[in-house]
Amino acid sequence: MDPLAGMDDSSTDDETSSQTTEDDPQVPEQHTQRPPPPPIVQPPPPAPSASNVPRERPHYQERHVLRGHTKSISAVKFSPDGKLLASCGAETVVKLWSPETGDFIRNLAGHTEGLSDVSWSSDSAYLASASDDTTIRIWSVETGITRKVLKGHTKWVFCLNYNTTSNLLVSGGCDGDVRIWNVARGKCMKTLHAHLDYVTAVHFNRDASLIVSCALDGLIRIWNASNGQCLKTLAEGHNAICQHVQFSPNSKYILSTAHDSAIRLWDYQSTRCLKTYTGHTNSKYCISACFSVTGGKYIVAGSEDHKTYIWDLQTREIVQVLEGHNDVVVAVATHPTDNMIATGSIESDLTIRIWIDRGPRSAA
Amino acid sequence: MNELLSNPFNTLSHPTAVQTNLPALALFSKFDPTGRYVASARATGSADVWDLETRNSIRWLDGHVKPVTSIDWSHKSRYLLTSSKDWNVVVWDLASTCDPPQRYSTLRFDAPVVSASFHPKNSRIILVLLTTGEAYLCDSRKATRSRTMLKEIVDDDSDDEEMKGEPSSRSRTHMTVARFDPAGKHIFIGTSNGTLLVFRTRTKTMIARHRISGANVMKGIEFTKNGRRLVTNSSDRTLRHFVTPTYSEAVEDGTAPGGVLEQDLEPTHRFNDPINKTAWHAMAYSPDGEWLAGGAADPAAHKIYVWDLSNDGQFASTLDGGREPLVHLHWHPLKSLIASTTNQGNIFIWHSPNPERWGAFAGGFEEVDENVEYEEREDEFDIEDEVVLLERKMKAEEEDVDILGMSVATSPPNARSSVGVHGPSSASAYASSAPTRSGSVNERAGSNERDPTAAQQSGAAGAGAVTNSGDSGMRVDTPDGLPDGHGGGGALTKEKEKEKEETPGIASVMDQDPDALWAGEEPDDDVPGLWKMKILIEGDDEE
Repeated sequence: MDPLAGMDDSSTDDETSSQTTEDDPQVPEQHTQRPPPPPIVQPPPPAPSASNVPRERPHYQERHVLRGHTKSISAVKFSPDGKLLASCGAETVVKLWSPETGDFIRNLAGHTEGLSDVSWSSDSAYLASASDDTTIRIWSVETGITRKVLKGHTKWVFCLNYNTTSNLLVSGGCDGDVRIWNVARGKCMKTLHAHLDYVTAVHFNRDASLIVSCALDGLIRIWNASNGQCLKTLAEGHNAICQHVQFSPNSKYILSTAHDSAIRLWDYQSTRCLKTYTGHTNSKYCISACFSVTGGKYIVAGSEDHKTYIWDLQTREIVQVLEGHNDVVVAVATHPTDNMIATGSIESDLTIRIWIDRGPRSAA
Repeated sequence: MNELLSNPFNTLSHPTAVQTNLPALALFSKFDPTGRYVASARATGSADVWDLETRNSIRWLDGHVKPVTSIDWSHKSRYLLTSSKDWNVVVWDLASTCDPPQRYSTLRFDAPVVSASFHPKNSRIILVLLTTGEAYLCDSRKATRSRTMLKEIVDDDSDDEEMKGEPSSRSRTHMTVARFDPAGKHIFIGTSNGTLLVFRTRTKTMIARHRISGANVMKGIEFTKNGRRLVTNSSDRTLRHFVTPTYSEAVEDGTAPGGVLEQDLEPTHRFNDPINKTAWHAMAYSPDGEWLAGGAADPAAHKIYVWDLSNDGQFASTLDGGREPLVHLHWHPLKSLIASTTNQGNIFIWHSPNPERWGAFAGGFEEVDENVEYEEREDEFDIEDEVVLLERKMKAEEEDVDILGMSVATSPPNARSSVGVHGPSSASAYASSAPTRSGSVNERAGSNERDPTAAQQSGAAGAGAVTNSGDSGMRVDTPDGLPDGHGGGGALTKEKEKEKEETPGIASVMDQDPDALWAGEEPDDDVPGLWKMKILIEGDDEE
């Protein structure tokens, strides 16, 4: 019924209401049989922060436009040392850029089909890429050589992530499987038959004890990484098919984006939605969101209205909108140490834009 | 924090089943303090480091020509020490990017080394025991570089007869086991005649001698993580569990009348196998100090005995690991995992398996163990205006969240009170007007953690009930749960006071405690976050 009921703070029943109501007793996996969802009640614009302290606002400005991709971009990622930006898209190569100068550095070529995701090892020495050729490649960034080809997925690999110590990789495929890989040997350690539909995001928590995954079946699942057991399932509203999840930097919360044009911050221990960020458009594409913690604390996400939105983490207000792309912004990344954002767009745009924040004066 | 998700009862049980078998050709194996690795020693003189996550051997440390006799990890796992029968102690730096790793430093002695261990606070201070029965404290810090032999102080006068008349050997007792206590303040040395000698680490002087009646040759000493209990293994095939003695200022400084404190120690518990009378190869406390595991020296079986110390040392169970006899065991520093080594060199990793909870696959579904009569709340089927609901929700969302702080992340109770509770008035308002849609028990709550809140809502709606949900935090760090009954009452109350004094935190203790200050001066660079162990990829795949 109420799409926001699942986030209600006031009740122990919020898990229930996010799932099933007396009108709709189906379990959410069977979403094909569900009656069409009732119209969404748009939440009123969030009230300004109760505190009197004026919150700082970001002042991001476009710095570079990186051209070179010939097909839709699917992911952009800063290296953990901040020196490089990796991007991938529907062509078969990973591109490396210098975020500082905007220069193109090199292609990592070897895959035979398009790419959906890339992930950096924490020492920035290796890069893993997920491809539609059903393999994952681990590249030595310095030499550009493939160090390992991870084979095992039976369909397109859609998403992947290293753990913090970078001895493990987790990947999600379009067969609904989540696989955990031993990076040193290049072997699959474990396969979780996690979902019934495309797995669109997987992420380790800080100490790699948990994995969160989400899929187009509308569910977010939390797994015990060491034994592969499912620990919890979070389900959003019926129309909120989730496409991206990640743990917060301290691994206490989960950030998810969904097709009801809402980004949610969950306390997964209590299965409660703590924050909802709205105002952008997201009902069709797999759009990622990310935390920005280098300046103020923000949530950054692309949108189908060709813009990039920045929300204040606490107040949920939109504090800046970045305009420049002329197609859907699907990929965003924030720099690990600087106030820098990279965004990537699809078909009729095909650019990566680097935005930096030099403080209020430069914006004036 | 996932402990809460995977283990709803928040208790650390003991392991019950073998999870993994590492074919390590090991003599013994030891977890590192972070719990990510296992180091194993080989008879060939090399040592391996295993990654527990990938179950791969990730480093091969080749530094000795004779069997390795002991391994120790520095306090934050950066350095690894191996001692060997080839008279050497080698320190390895795991932050080194060389492959194979090169030795970081070597200490050479005049006899085979029985054991060596790092000071718990500073890896530049190493305690070494030789087969000659001598112990050395080696300080390799620039300012205080030294190698000091730890000498037993013997009274040469009158009470010779009292000490059973062993005049020739008395000048030098054979030391058979040497360990730092977990704070590094004292060194405990077991001897071949059943005494425990205590040295103050900073001054390297002996401050106490404890006779343990009936113990004979001391074979091992282990401490609980907080250092308040210790267990000894001796040649009389008995494990003795003690309250760690504490010493007065005068004894510590050696200014007490009569010099060295002479005291008999009476164990609070004795553990042995009354039927087979097996000896013990090794013993280990669980991280919370509530369990004690003993590895039986059974020549034909792999048996680990587990005692429940929180339950007055009652025997809990025997873990049977098959036919390969056990030679060593070590408990994980944080979790319910034990690594036991067989005489064939295999390392068994024991764990306590969680039963798969299929209910976790459905969102908002809770498994109940037995039928529960569901009592609906007063307002459970009240219909509320969606606008009101939405408003309340928006208000709730204004609470600040902390996405960076780790302290919040590891202590759910605080997070609950900071995120979920608005103060007494608003909290009770929420609870009493909670919207509801379902009546089924199974659909009620998704997580065990919410149960206290549920109870609150069905009963009195008060803010206090929300905040108390945190009592079930992880119990690893709490003071050990031994009942106060055993041991001398006076000593225990004194110890309690000491516990209170010590609680204010490491920083303030560091300011006052000269021993901690001493270990802290010229610290080693074993600082988490400042070093990393490089992931080495084996071979290339390039087609």
